[in-house]
This record gives sequence, structure tokens and C-alpha cells, in this order.
Amino acid sequence: MAVVTDTEQGHHARPRGWSRWLAATNHKDIGTLYLWFSFTMFLTGGVMALGIRAELFQPGLQFWQPDLFNQLTTLHGLIMVFGAIMPAFTGMANWLLPLMIGAPDMAFARMNNWSFWLLPPAALLLIVSFAVPGGAASAGWTLYAPLSTQMGMGMDLTIFAIHIMGISSIMGSINIIVTILNLRAPGMTLMKMPMFAWASLITAYLIIAVMPVLAGVVTMVLTDRHFGTHFFNAAGGGDPVLYQHVFWFFGHPEVYIMALPAFGIVSHILPTFARKPLFGYASMVYATSSIALLSFMVWAHHMFTTGMPATAQLFFMYATMLIAVPTGVKVFNWIATLWQGSISFETPMLFAIGFVCLFTVGGLSGVTLSVAAVDIQLQDSYYVVAHFHYVLVAGALFSLFAAVYYWFPKMSGRMYSERLGKLHFWWSLVWFNVTFFPMHFLGLAGMPRRIPDYALQFTSFNEIASVGAFCFGLGQLIFLYNILWSLRRGDPAPAKPWEGADTLEWQLPSPAPYHSFVEAPELEVGENGAIRGMKGGVHH
Amino acid sequence: MRADTRRSANLALLKKLALIALLMFGFAWGLIPIYRVICEVTGINQLQRADAVGKAARGAAAAEVLLTFDATVQAGLPWQVRPLTGQLRARPGEFVKVEYEIVNAGAREVVGQAIPRYLPAAAGEYVKKLDCFCFKQQAFAPGERRRFPVVFFVDPALPEAVREITLSYTVFDVPGKGA
Ligand SMILES: [Cu+2]
Repeated sequence: MAVVTDTEQGHHARPRGWSRWLAATNHKDIGTLYLWFSFTMFLTGGVMALGIRAELFQPGLQFWQPDLFNQLTTLHGLIMVFGAIMPAFTGMANWLLPLMIGAPDMAFARMNNWSFWLLPPAALLLIVSFAVPGGAASAGWTLYAPLSTQMGMGMDLTIFAIHIMGISSIMGSINIIVTILNLRAPGMTLMKMPMFAWASLITAYLIIAVMPVLAGVVTMVLTDRHFGTHFFNAAGGGDPVLYQHVFWFFGHPEVYIMALPAFGIVSHILPTFARKPLFGYASMVYATSSIALLSFMVWAHHMFTTGMPATAQLFFMYATMLIAVPTGVKVFNWIATLWQGSISFETPMLFAIGFVCLFTVGGLSGVTLSVAAVDIQLQDSYYVVAHFHYVLVAGALFSLFAAVYYWFPKMSGRMYSERLGKLHFWWSLVWFNVTFFPMHFLGLAGMPRRIPDYALQFTSFNEIASVGAFCFGLGQLIFLYNILWSLRRGDPAPAKPWEGADTLEWQLPSPAPYHSFVEAPELEVGENGAIRGMKGGVHH
Repeated sequence: MRADTRRSANLALLKKLALIALLMFGFAWGLIPIYRVICEVTGINQLQRADAVGKAARGAAAAEVLLTFDATVQAGLPWQVRPLTGQLRARPGEFVKVEYEIVNAGAREVVGQAIPRYLPAAAGEYVKKLDCFCFKQQAFAPGERRRFPVVFFVDPALPEAVREITLSYTVFDVPGKGA
């Protein structure tokens, strides 16, 4: 661990205008870029979702041909996963990690610039692919062979985009790991550092372990498409099921790449607004690690209908259920943190509590799906769609909203509008459930996912879901307005706007100085990064 | 610690992590042979190999099974594939021989590979094939017409409840082969 005594990025002036962003190396600038990029992608993917819900408002074909509909579902998934959620967490990590652990910046500032600026071209490739002959990829975000080995050049563009985003996220993860392992200020030991740092560290390892596997498998698709290989071509001795095995070896850990940072964020916000330390800090660290390890052993629970031997089904079923144990530990710890706390309900807290409740709903439907016999019935139905939107929208997305509201004063130096924030929360909470809860019923009744048309008996629940989706989407403009308004007009924020906040970033003035901890402070730290004493630490 | 020591510690860790990423990329490719070996050893996905006869062939006693034969061709290919026998009844354990006729109706040489499929799928492991044109790729000159035997028996261990089995072949083009 390093005592940082140099001031290599010290005194030069802050660059202005375009070059400040294009050549950005400051972790705060890059974090801001990541966050705005992911919000743009969130709106883009959201518009696609509304396209899907518009078509599904009524049975029959109203707006899109089935092919375009499939392109919309595919790109909605890809953009939300790789363009919105993952970069948003990386952006949060960029902004917050150096402040939380007392580092001057991320370890590799120039590489950090590259990891961000690879993303917009990749996103552009995905969006442009709608305009090429044959349209965008329409095999679903999982890009299953043999569909993906057959489609037009939209699939090639998608594969390139995945390569680029993969490289970006791997570089971002290397930066996060090196920063956390090598740049912590004296006193900030691993078993004391804040949960968000722990979650980011473990997530970064997951990304380094599985993004290359995704890159590998889509490369095989590419060579099958253009270079005469037969990895997934039955005629050439290959096997389409093999694609699923390799893809889900990436795919299940990916689920936790999108969930663990959310766990970290919530583990900051609940203690702050309950004005109590996080319950069971050490068990939180171990639970997060064991979730990450177990996530490598459960991939085939996505493949119960591929004709696996019963023994394999049982293994993957029990292994999957096992993950509910560490996840349950976390939920228990969060509830215990709230227990007898003196709780106040500011917007970040509302989103965090909404997260705990709704993520648990999604977790429970996940346990339901882990039962092989049940999954065979529900595979590819709307029940699955409901399940993963509970963990990704009410899980990952709600945690991100919570994080933006919670750290907005530190990032911008201004307070957001509490009134609009609360409106945004209650609006999102209600319409989220109106959108996605009926999908459980649709799935149980047998409605398959990824279809533009459906049997008449599914109409009313689909109408409810579509109305919910449009209202939910509209509500996100409240968030955008709140952020834009508060950036200019919000009340000036004190250094520590939340009474119960005790991690290192709240020791800095608001907004955080452009060059913070140029000299590392000497820290006395309690569990979950609580600062008991601090000496030194120089900012510019 | 001074700036250059810190820098080199960071770079050393960067190299290790980049190596992990590269190894995992290699691992993805390594999964292909690994899965192949697993399928081989456990016999999970044994489509293109003759089954062992063993003792199973004897002990023909159970009630007859209705066998249906079928074939499809991957869309856009010039093959015509049809079974010469549509249906027959056979006792489990009894050897059955049927013939398929395959025609290359196109004007170019083609190489195809037939993949068997069973209905119900669970019956697949009880159909023991001794000879099949699906065991290897087949090359056809333009207009060529050939007949192929399929020799198999139904394992007497077939569950009582299954008394009808459909054996269907899909013929795929092998890309990069043929002219
Ligand atoms: Cu999974």
C-alpha cells in the first residue's frame, strides 16, 4: 500500500471547453462522462422499450414488423446492459473510489480516458446497425447460435461493438483493481474500506474473468459467419448448445456484475439514513465474495430445456439455490441495519429501501425459476422478463438513482430538489410495479417473450404493462429536470449534507476539489470506511 | 513510497490483470475441446458414432414399437431426402434396416451432413444405431442419387410408456465444402 507523497498532477490549470472532456484524465471528469453517457444510453434503450410496449399494447401488428420488433428487443437488452448499467457503475466507481479511499486519482489516468472514449463509438455501431441491410441484430441480447451465425451485417456490427465495450470494461476494471489495491491512504485497510469499494473490487475481478469469455464466444460466431469454422454449426460437427454453455459462463457472472455494485451503494445509504453502522460488515464482505465465486458454477440454469441429463439439472438447480444464502445474508443485514435506527426518508433512502424490497421480489422469483421442473415450464416466458426486470430496474437502476441523489451534493456542490426527488421515487415505484408485476401473471399464463403479437387472453395485462411503461418512462424526465435544474439553481451543499454519513468523501468540501488528496491523509478508520480521525491530505 | 516505485507497482499489477484477461479469452476457446471431451466421456451428445451392441440386443420380448421415419432439408438447399419406408413396427431388441434416398437436385457439387432427431427426445438414447449415413459427411455430384441404409435396434430398456418413436433427419449443407 502506498503513501502518496508526490504531486505529479498538481498545479497545472484545469483545461477548458472540449479538450477538457476529450482529453480528460481527471477521475471526476471521467466519472461525469460515464454517468452522462450511461444516462443517454438509458434514454435510448428506454425509447426502444417503449417501442416494444407500444406494439404489445394490443394483439396483432400495429407499429413494427416482427423483424424490427426483434431488433428492438435485442438492442434494448444490449444497450441497457452494456451501455447503461455497466458504464453507470464504472462512472460511480471513477467518481467515488479515489475520494473514499484517499487516492489522488485512478491509477492509470490516461488508460481511464481510453476506457471511456471507446464507449461512444461502440454505442454508435449498435445504433447505426438499424440502418444497414437486414437491420440490427435480432437474435435477442444473448445472440444465440444458430440465429446469430445467420443474420445480416447488423450482427457483425453488434459483435464489433461487444468487442469494443468488452475492452473498455476490462480496462476500466484493471484501473479499479489497481486503484483499490495500491492507492489506499494509510489506515484504510482492506477489511475497513467502504462496501462500495469492496463491491467495485469484486465486480472488477468478475469483469476481467468473464468479459474475455464473451469476447471469445462472439469471435467464434464471427468466424463461423465468415471464415468457414463450425463451432456452432451442427453440419460441420459443431453444436449450437455449446454456444449457450460458453455464453452463460459469461452471462451468469454478468448478472452479478450488474448487482454487486448496487449492493455496495445500498450498504452506504441505509446506514447513513438509519444513523447506525452497517450491520455485519465482515459478513457483507464474505457474502459478496461468495456470491461472486458461486456465480461461476450455476450457468446452466439458463439451459434446463436443452436436454441436459437430470443429474446436471439437479446440480445446477441446487447450486443456484445456494446463492440465495449469501444474498439472504445481505438482505438480513440491511434489515438489521434499519432495525431501531433513527430513520429519515430523504430521496436516496427511499430508493435504497425500494431497492431492498423490490430486489428481494426479483430474488424470490429467481429462486422460483431455479427449480428445474418449474423453469422448464416458464423458460422464455414473461415470468422470466418480470424476474430480471425486478433485479435490473428496481435493483440496479434504483440503486443508481439512489447513488446519484446521495452523492450529487458532493459531485456538484449543490443540493438537488428533495420535492422533485421524492416525486421521482414514488412515480417510478408505482409505475415500475404497474409495468412489471403483471408480467408474472402473463408468464404463468404462458405468454412467450420476444414476440410482437400474442393470443387475445393476454390483452388486458399487456395493456396495463404498456400504460405503466409509458408513465415510468415519462417519470424519468423528472429526474433529468431535477438534475439540470439543481446543477444551476440548487442550494449550495455543505461538506456533509447527510447527518449519518461517515465515509471519507464527506470529509472533503462540496463540490469535491478538482485535485483531491494530492497528498494522502493519515486515517483512522472504522468498519465500512467510517472515518474516526484524519490528519493531512492536500487538495487543489 | 516514492512516485516511481508506486508507478512500477501499479504497472506490475496491471500486467498481471491483463494476463488474467488474456488467459480467460484463451479459456473461452479451451471450453470447446473441454465440452467435446465431456460429451465424449459421458456419452451425452453422441450423434455421429455407432452405438455398442452389448447384451442389449438380446431379450426381445416387450410389445412392439411403432417407428416413423422422416427427413427435412435445411432451407434453400438442393437436396431431396426421403425415407423409403414411412412407418414400421418392431420389437425392442430386433434389428431394423430402413433405407433413405438422397438426391442432389442442384447443378453443383454439394457436401451434406445429416443430424438425427428423435421424438420423444428422451427416446433418443434407446435407439441404438449400428450404421447410418449420418455418421459422416456425404459428397454428391450434380444430379447424383444414392440410397443409404440405416441399421438400428430399439433398446429393450425402453420405458413401457413409450410405444411410438419418430426418427427424423435434417440434412445441413457443410459450408466451405463442395463447389
Ligand atoms: Cu443465471
